Amino acid sequence: MKQQKGSGALAPEGSLAKLPPMKGIMATKTVAIEIKRQASPDAPAVWESFELPWRPGMNVISAMMEIAANPVTADGRSTTPITYDSNCLEEICGSCAMRINGKARMACSSLVDNLEQPIKVAPLSKFPLVRDLQVDRSVLFENLKAVKAWVPVDGTYDLGSGPRVFPQQQEANYPLSNCISCCCCMEVCPQFNEDTGFVGAATIAQVKLFNNHPTGKVFKEERLRALAGDGGIQECGFAQNCVETCPKQLPLTEAISDISRDVIIQKAKDFLRG
Amino acid sequence: MATAQQPAAPPPRPIVLPGVPPLRAAQGNEFLWRKLHSLLGIVPIGAFLLEHLLSNFEAIHGPAAYGAQVKFLNSLPMVRVLEWVFIFLPILYHGCYGVWIWLRGKSNIVYYPWAGNWLYTAQRYTGLIALLYIGQHVYRQRFSGIALPENPYASFHKVQMELQNPWMLAVYIVAMIAICWHFSYGVWLFAAKWGITPGTRARKRFGFVCAALGLLLVVMGLASIWAFVGGKYPNVPAEVAPAVSPLVQPVSAAYPGIVQA
Repeated sequence: MKQQKGSGALAPEGSLAKLPPMKGIMATKTVAIEIKRQASPDAPAVWESFELPWRPGMNVISAMMEIAANPVTADGRSTTPITYDSNCLEEICGSCAMRINGKARMACSSLVDNLEQPIKVAPLSKFPLVRDLQVDRSVLFENLKAVKAWVPVDGTYDLGSGPRVFPQQQEANYPLSNCISCCCCMEVCPQFNEDTGFVGAATIAQVKLFNNHPTGKVFKEERLRALAGDGGIQECGFAQNCVETCPKQLPLTEAISDISRDVIIQKAKDFLRG
Repeated sequence: MATAQQPAAPPPRPIVLPGVPPLRAAQGNEFLWRKLHSLLGIVPIGAFLLEHLLSNFEAIHGPAAYGAQVKFLNSLPMVRVLEWVFIFLPILYHGCYGVWIWLRGKSNIVYYPWAGNWLYTAQRYTGLIALLYIGQHVYRQRFSGIALPENPYASFHKVQMELQNPWMLAVYIVAMIAICWHFSYGVWLFAAKWGITPGTRARKRFGFVCAALGLLLVVMGLASIWAFVGGKYPNVPAEVAPAVSPLVQPVSAAYPGIVQA
């Protein structure tokens, strides 16, 4: 029993002796990664392969940092560092969404050890490409503006403290407030495309969040009417990919269902009021 | 003297981004057309489907009972108006608009082979099968051959002749399964998209209800097909002795004083 005590997440010290000797910090194990590159929005896309030294706890972003430190492809050709968006590196800022092995996800939380190699990295496919893995996701910002996804408290004088939010309401709102605007839900949605102009799950979830807010709900009716516009909530096909893929586990389908009902009721009220 | 006027500011240029356009907040009528499509699928189309499958099920009681059921349906007041307003036109709209919905969606089942995504895709294929099938079914059974509204007791004969062709039999079986699938998942989708089942658990439970409904309808539908081809009522002639449907009480029974001609 005593011998097993050391086993677990960390290897027992004795087992290090069995590993092959290391040359400096370079490990003998390598990681194969293929990246779809495009120098500009109009340039042709090319795939470049890289062979990187493996490091413990490595993720896709750290792999691209390695490439930036030594931008040489697997066949020894010198290249440019990869352009990509990233910031916090702890899945909280929403910047580094990309398609990794075909699936939209956050690069920072995509651990190399959990991925099938060669790791194929491509930019999100439904947003205008800027360069390499960087895309322009401002459509989400436009959509959030279109539904007034904020609490209107700006004024010329002190408005005092806001109304109390009961703990039960806080509990309900908190998951919706976790959205990091990564746009993964929109990338994986079969209805989010240039033909439908669908608003996407993230914006609908924010409508629910701000409609639930005691001050934010002043815009409730406007938000619901906005979502009944072309490209609005009716375009949802309920494939439920959004909720499957959301890195922050937002209750997106629940929000779509709830807001869909609210929009129908709002439109019916508007119709009857004339 | 004219007051100095500021030159009119040019109207703000709309932001046009390449890629998916932003929400056209509160503009357009797509919401109405889409919700109409959704509602028509339940009422009247779904309600009619249930009626049709129940009526078909009468076939297991034989040609006379089946003929009586067809006679009863054709005896409804303003039946020609009913069938156009509540059956043909809604199905035409639901089908054509559904194809348009399909054309605008971009399936990504290859990359995201998840259950909901499969159901999303299946709803489109089963809908197309249903539309094509209904087109030929209405043409061949309602608008060509023996006119059933005038000859309701020839119904069993007409359907049996149709199902003599093994290819047509296969078409009917495939279409029966596809339509029951499309309807039962459609009920589930309706509940989800109209906010009747917002919670994940509610949707899951209602999923079992809809699956049971779909299974029941498929079994009933296939049993009806079996009644025509199973050999219990072979070679039914076009003229069948009229039987009284249990749904239509004879006038003489309701009003004993009246003697029927």
